[in-house]
Amino acid sequence: MSLKSWMKGEPVAVETPDQQRDAAPAEGTTIDAGAPSRTLWGDALARLRRNRLAIMAVIWIVFIVLVALTADLWVPQTLGGPTAQLYDARLPMSAAHPFGTDQVGRDVLSRVVYGARISLAVGLLATAISTLIGLVMGAVAAYYGGFWDTVIMRLADVFLAFPYILFVIVMLAVLGSGIQNVFIAIGVLGWPSIARVFRSAILSVKENDYVDAARSMGASDARIIMRHIFPNSVASIVVYSTMNIGGAILTEAALSFLGMGVVPPDPSWGILIEDGQKFIATQPWLMIMPGLAILLTVLAFTLLGDGLRDALDVKMKDA
Amino acid sequence: MHQNHAVTRRGFVAGGLASTALAALAGCGKKNAGSSEGGTGAGGTLKYYINNPVAIDPYNTQEDQGTQVEHILFDALTDYDWAKGAVVPKAAESWESNDDDTEFTFHLVKGAKFHNGDAVDAKAFKRGFERICDPDMPTPSEINYHLAPIVGYEEMLSKKAKELSGVTCPDENTLVIKLNAPMADFPTVCSHPALAPVPQAALDDPASFLKHPIGNGPFMMDGDWVADQYINVKRFDDYYGEKAKLGAINFSIQKDPTTAFREFEGGNLDMAQIPTGRFGEISEKYGKSEDGYTVTKGHQVLTGAELSVYYLAVNCEKITDATVRHAISLAINRQNICDTLFEGTRTPADSVFPKILDPGMDNSWPDCKYDKAAAQKLVDDNNLAGTEITLSYNSGGGHEDIMSIIQSDLEAVGFKVTQESQEWASYLTKLGDGSFQMGRLGWIADYPTMDNFIYPNFYSTADNNYSKYNNPAVDKAIDEARQITDEDKRKEAFRAINKTLGEDMPIIPLMFYSHNWVGSSRIEKLYLDPQSKVDFATASIQA
Amino acid sequence: MGKYIVKRVLQFIPVFLGVTLILFAMQNIVPGDPIKLIAGEKKLDPQTELNLRATYHLIDTDADGKPILDESGNPVETPLWKRYTLYLGGLLQGDLGVSYQQSGKSVSSILMEKYPYTIRLAAVAILVEAVIGILAGMVSAIKRYSFWDVLVTLSTSILVAMPAFWLGMLLQLFFGIMVKDWTGGGFYLPISGAGGPTAEFNAGMYYILPAITLASVSTAYTARIMRSQLLEVMNQDYIRTARAKGLSRRATILHHALKNALIPVVTYIGIDFGGMLAGAILTETVFNWPGVGFETYRAITQRDWPIVMGSVTIIVIVVMVINLIVDISYAFLDPRIRYGSSKDQG
Repeated sequence: MSLKSWMKGEPVAVETPDQQRDAAPAEGTTIDAGAPSRTLWGDALARLRRNRLAIMAVIWIVFIVLVALTADLWVPQTLGGPTAQLYDARLPMSAAHPFGTDQVGRDVLSRVVYGARISLAVGLLATAISTLIGLVMGAVAAYYGGFWDTVIMRLADVFLAFPYILFVIVMLAVLGSGIQNVFIAIGVLGWPSIARVFRSAILSVKENDYVDAARSMGASDARIIMRHIFPNSVASIVVYSTMNIGGAILTEAALSFLGMGVVPPDPSWGILIEDGQKFIATQPWLMIMPGLAILLTVLAFTLLGDGLRDALDVKMKDA
Repeated sequence: MHQNHAVTRRGFVAGGLASTALAALAGCGKKNAGSSEGGTGAGGTLKYYINNPVAIDPYNTQEDQGTQVEHILFDALTDYDWAKGAVVPKAAESWESNDDDTEFTFHLVKGAKFHNGDAVDAKAFKRGFERICDPDMPTPSEINYHLAPIVGYEEMLSKKAKELSGVTCPDENTLVIKLNAPMADFPTVCSHPALAPVPQAALDDPASFLKHPIGNGPFMMDGDWVADQYINVKRFDDYYGEKAKLGAINFSIQKDPTTAFREFEGGNLDMAQIPTGRFGEISEKYGKSEDGYTVTKGHQVLTGAELSVYYLAVNCEKITDATVRHAISLAINRQNICDTLFEGTRTPADSVFPKILDPGMDNSWPDCKYDKAAAQKLVDDNNLAGTEITLSYNSGGGHEDIMSIIQSDLEAVGFKVTQESQEWASYLTKLGDGSFQMGRLGWIADYPTMDNFIYPNFYSTADNNYSKYNNPAVDKAIDEARQITDEDKRKEAFRAINKTLGEDMPIIPLMFYSHNWVGSSRIEKLYLDPQSKVDFATASIQA
Repeated sequence: MGKYIVKRVLQFIPVFLGVTLILFAMQNIVPGDPIKLIAGEKKLDPQTELNLRATYHLIDTDADGKPILDESGNPVETPLWKRYTLYLGGLLQGDLGVSYQQSGKSVSSILMEKYPYTIRLAAVAILVEAVIGILAGMVSAIKRYSFWDVLVTLSTSILVAMPAFWLGMLLQLFFGIMVKDWTGGGFYLPISGAGGPTAEFNAGMYYILPAITLASVSTAYTARIMRSQLLEVMNQDYIRTARAKGLSRRATILHHALKNALIPVVTYIGIDFGGMLAGAILTETVFNWPGVGFETYRAITQRDWPIVMGSVTIIVIVVMVINLIVDISYAFLDPRIRYGSSKDQG
């Protein structure tokens, strides 16, 4: 018996120690997918409503998404628009420029707001990519077992043995910087943990009678996975993915801070921190504001994930 | 209320304890100010900021960081005196050339010694030169191009010869160098600090020479180079020339100028670069230097022009129409870039020649200036509105700010501009491939000659000709100019070439770099030359 | 037990080969020719370029080290598999190769210079993590639902949600800049570098802020693990029995619960040490720390592949060895675990 399974509930510590530190604090999960329940989602929603922290998290997420989507309508300086011309450089905070202007003469509030677009997009898309790859890999490994299981799980070991942040940096060196490549790099490298989660979820449902029944009735593998196994593991995947979004946002910030991520002049939050660092002694808010935006948004996704976990009764221990 | 009071009091006590503890910690943590100066003797220790150098062993000294250390450990044959605007003797006390400038004879200073006591003879120079050309060094030198004009260079590089046949030593103090082609500027080339003599020890133990080079200069290593941390040097008391005033120099290696400046403000450094955006405030506090190059008390901020130019290379195979290049050049408000981002320390470029290279002469290109109306007229007359332009640059060097202003300027006259930045490694590949339209570059001259600005950048087959500029007339003019032995006539020929370049505009010069250094008030005198080498030998500090 | 160790070590091999092979293959597709990059904007002389490629075994050479040219006079590129076998061969003899960018310095000597800084920083960070994390977790569990519990839970959530490098900058801003202004320079902390002979502070002071930054996320996790483990242990029968026998709550926790709850926490900390060696890039960047993480990052941007390979190889080996040690020491700490028995092999 290995340490990992003995430690049930703390695999995060075992799997991705470096990932948490510098980038993605992906929460660990070990899943006992609950028995199917007709009222799963209804119950869950009710439970979620009673969780005040989760509600606050949802409010913040909705707010930041709205802010990002409607940015063009109200920010002082639209990106690439007719008001894109520059103001005086490094103006202090004022009513016209609530966060001041930067060294080139761009309105910092506008840049933080547009930064939300990029950071949220990276968080959502990268998570989508890694979830998708992880699901396929996990499904193949668990359902077919044997040879494929060994190959995929060893591959996951290889990916996890790599120091995560170094791997992403090398990957971006290969692909080149830029938003799309940040999606891809974070997304592609995030699959092993989700594959493991899904694999164990499937393994625990696979032996259930209703799966056997479906198989004896001649249902195809794909159908069994899609119709029977997937719905029963969806709760854990939703929880896991929600928490991963925050991790992806942090990774993007770290990459952009190092100059490997989103390419200037596009304003991601990581780039804004990097920019602001130069003026830490004289205009510290240039670096504080985007950092606060990251903190609140990642915190919101974590709290929402916690809330969903409790509400959906996914068994994963607090790590 | 009572309860509250108790809590407050307890909080207060705890807080008091905590701050006492912190103060005690700080007291223990700070070193006694005198202790760090203790062992260095009279003259005091200057603490100077550099980035981690590529090399301080002369065989591979390339960027200004390594040069800063290497040029005081080693004396080359000659030196360039900026005050006189001419080459002056250093390790060679005199030299002469033959009639067509293909053979130079250098007479070395007698009695000069290396830091380990070995004599500095002609063989030591030959040894130093051959190390630079030797392909069997652990890693071959990357700066051997300096010696390319010397006879036997090619043979040695391709392993056909074991020695540099063009360099001979008729006697201990005479060095004769034969060149492949006439080159009147060769003594200036010899002022490059990398072309230095090395003792036998460099061949016996190259690995330790890399970290602890032994030279003939006014300072010697004090311990090994500790990578990413520091390099310490101390005065060499057996130096043949005038002995240094400083007792020692601590080259403090910092990751970037911003970090270094914080250390300067903390009192840990005597010289640092001023970060963008802080110039006004800092120069008010420390006072501007009178000549821009010398730090004296109360005049500690250096703003002197450097021997380098910041420009956009235009890929002439992609933007074939010179009109477009002229329109772009006219549309860029260079003064605004200098003022906004560099608080007026850098100056707008009006040609490829920095003004200090040819003082008093007008070398400006007619369209290398800001004239929005003229740019607009060119755009309108030639139907250029909507022309798509891609500005390429390497991310992370502050270039994005410059490019954002240029983008805004170019869009104002109707161009459609996109920015494209990559990390340095990928960007350099892109430049090499020619898969760019306009890309930013900087040229930092190796030697203060006009040739060094023209030939490497504009000769059709030259390595640094990223613009893919190919004008046979210019090639021919360069070939001819390089062989003119008369100083004034040669300069005149290069001025004419510069003029032709102004018509073709294969590059769009943007700014001339300038110093942005500040010295501490401990410094009594320190001179930083236009090539960013500090004259540490004459510098002095409050001990 | 011996059998178990052998099995684990054998499992390392494919993972290790996979990691190095992937990295090796990536070198070939990354844009940016490392040899051309050596000289920067000023290009290398073609013959020098050829010589450099020969030195680094990127092209085939004859016995004298002269490049072999094909009929049309072009050098012959050494195939990937051959270079990889050469690399592995060197590795077995402890040879990690020579840096492209640093004038022929060997990778092992570069890493030997850097590792002490990273290891010392990680050690201090682990100390911070262990002391603060365990104490906070204990307080949180023992005084469950109290103000302290909420405080710990909230602050751990915040620490985990904040970019660690940003926390580092906030610390620099506060302890290095603001405090200095308030105290007129009487008290402040060094905010970058690792000290040195002419530095203002004693070397130990330089560790404070980077260590806190590096430890921040792990401390939060340690506190949470400690809390949940202690709560779980305290609910178990033997603890209830002890309490029922009249043992005080304090004595129960100290003598019975704590010991068992600490095992997974110590495990986490042990494994985390390996992670810290690898994951300190951002902390080292923010604090100008001359460690391995920063060196590796710089090597990637400069395409100095020998350094990248060497550093990742060592990190992977160290992390694997630490994991193994942790797993083995488990068997000694907890008699319930027996490695190698066929029944337990999962």
